[in-house]
Amino acid sequence: MLRRLLGLLRKEGVQFLRDPVVLFLILYLYTIEAVMCTMALTFEIKQLPIGVVDQDLSVGSRHLTDLFTLTEAFELRRQSDSSAPIEGWLEAGEVAMVLVIPTGFEQAYQAGIHPSAQILLDGTNSNVAENARRYAMAIVERFAAERPPLPTGAATVPSVPMTRIWYNPDQETAPFMVLSMMALAAMLVGAICPAASIVRERERGTIEQLLVTPIRVGEMFAAKTIPTLIVNLLAIAPALLITRAFDVPVRGSLTTFVVLAAVFQLSAIAFGVFIASISRTLQQALLLAFFGLFPVMFLSGTFTPIESMPPFLQAASLASPLRYFMDIALGVFLKGAGWAELWPQAVALAVIGSILFMLSLLVFRRRVS
Amino acid sequence: MNLRRLTALMGKETRELIRDPITLWLALLMPLVMLFLFGYAVTLDVRRVSMGVYDEDRSPASRELAQRFAATENFSVARRFASMHEVVDAMQRSQVRLVLVIPPDFQQRLTTGPRAPVQILVDGTFSMTAALAAGYAEAIVRSFPTPPASTLNLETRVWYNPSLRSANFVVPGLLAVILMAFPPLLTALAIVREKETGTIQQIYASPVTSAEFVASKLVPYGAVALIEMLLLIVVGTFWFGVPFAGSPVLLVSASLIYVLTTVAIGLLVSTVTRTQVAAMLVALIVSLMPSFLFSGFLFPVFTMPFSMQLYSLLIPASYFMEVSRGIVLKAADLTTILPNLVVLAVYTLALFALASWRLRQKVA
Repeated sequence: MLRRLLGLLRKEGVQFLRDPVVLFLILYLYTIEAVMCTMALTFEIKQLPIGVVDQDLSVGSRHLTDLFTLTEAFELRRQSDSSAPIEGWLEAGEVAMVLVIPTGFEQAYQAGIHPSAQILLDGTNSNVAENARRYAMAIVERFAAERPPLPTGAATVPSVPMTRIWYNPDQETAPFMVLSMMALAAMLVGAICPAASIVRERERGTIEQLLVTPIRVGEMFAAKTIPTLIVNLLAIAPALLITRAFDVPVRGSLTTFVVLAAVFQLSAIAFGVFIASISRTLQQALLLAFFGLFPVMFLSGTFTPIESMPPFLQAASLASPLRYFMDIALGVFLKGAGWAELWPQAVALAVIGSILFMLSLLVFRRRVS
Repeated sequence: MNLRRLTALMGKETRELIRDPITLWLALLMPLVMLFLFGYAVTLDVRRVSMGVYDEDRSPASRELAQRFAATENFSVARRFASMHEVVDAMQRSQVRLVLVIPPDFQQRLTTGPRAPVQILVDGTFSMTAALAAGYAEAIVRSFPTPPASTLNLETRVWYNPSLRSANFVVPGLLAVILMAFPPLLTALAIVREKETGTIQQIYASPVTSAEFVASKLVPYGAVALIEMLLLIVVGTFWFGVPFAGSPVLLVSASLIYVLTTVAIGLLVSTVTRTQVAAMLVALIVSLMPSFLFSGFLFPVFTMPFSMQLYSLLIPASYFMEVSRGIVLKAADLTTILPNLVVLAVYTLALFALASWRLRQKVA
């Protein structure tokens, strides 16, 4: 039986290596795509184009304008002393935010009345708008703090927050992005390659030839999946170099990570095998994989926080292998977690993988006989 | 171009498409599934962040502060800790993302002054949400027991999407992304399949010209893409209640150009790949992923490094994103979106020219 398996494995290995384009694309996903995403993707506000309408032209208004333009977050693109051009700026997308300082701003300050300023936001990207507003608030708070306080009512003792960010004190996005891109690549490749290799045999009819030999369905599945597993595990190496380049700390054990990555990849492969077992043509399999992967990625919490999703989507996210692997990757790299902390995730991955494998075996046997 | 040959070829393509009901269903259903996933779940706002409370004070004041956290939508108190050791353990296991630590003398300090510090511990691994969660937590603490008096009012007005609903910007953006998902893939697979099975040789041997071949693929897949587009517009407007500020007719006519762009990308992909797996991966890498990640759909372009901003200019979805968001949210008219449309049209023509040139080379 071992000889049969080895023979099959050799055939599959040769077939896998014969398509250098696919190998190159896999490498591309693991490296170049990961680097591009890490470099480019962030929700942080940086150089947001803003406009300032200063109708007051006073010391105070100029100081407030300076505070807005001196931060890295905003970049002054348009300036005016009348509110007429605002609509045009926003309409054309030249600026995403406009600060309006009305006439009488400084006077109100001197008179001890609460002065007010205004910001106008382009809400088309609501996430950006929300972040920009938060930044603007912070700047205004700083402005107010630098000025002598206005007389207020009864003084109370304030409680003061002292915030500590653990595991990632500088609030870098890079570690998160690198690790999630690595996980996404593993999921994609793990699902697509075995699915394609199984369905291709079925489409060409060569699967009948395999099935009349003493080879069992389970052995065939094993031979179809092992090359993908090996390629995927090897691809971790360049990905690790990239994490190095982006200064992602490795606080846990890499061996633990590789073992857990293998468990994850088996569940991704099981997903691919399942798709192969229910589709008739390669085209169907690829389309199914493509669109099956979308919810899997989407529900993993990679792009949006799971806690903010509606309850039914949160429940669905429990079936996404990526969700557990993100916990594992972030846990090992950033938190220094090991088996003691991560076993529930490992068990969840193993359960998802086994259920999918079992289902595929069942479906496949029924279809063949 | 010969009209009879063209209709015959188109008939063949259409029959092939209809004969595979699974593919057709996928093509029409999946965009809707994606629309629902995105429409419901794309919000980066943090809600119900699972947090823990380590209350060393156990006083009425500390209980009141913890209660303020529990009362907001942003946090849900999942654990109460009795020691710092438990806190560390729960953070390591990702059971809580934020911990409020109230020191033993909290209530006393609130009465004696000058300040009563409390500690907020935040799990920084999910960096995008960590900052938001920390911000909310700090705001709650600062306004305890009474909100601080501010010296300067900042009025905020949000234009185009005053409620800051994410569905309003996700749905029009999604038109640009989803059309980059399906039509290029479907077109590329349809042609590469003919290559893999060898039937393309028969086409090469027939009098069919490469332009006719391209056109015959274009019409049926373009039609599918257009139906997808209409479905998305209708469901987005009526189910998600996205206010449609501009002219629907303008949007549909603009999307006609974009549909052609997507099919053209599929054609070009098919001319550079030999196997369906490779075609799919290439389609993924050149169409869906950049449209999703680098076109300004979710992640703003202006924060990207300059090189990546240039890259985003190469992505057709960036232009159509401007068009669809402009029409739906800002009621943009033809003159405003015209530059984007021109770019798309030129882009599409170039793609078609390149694709049929590559095809002709193959034949010769």
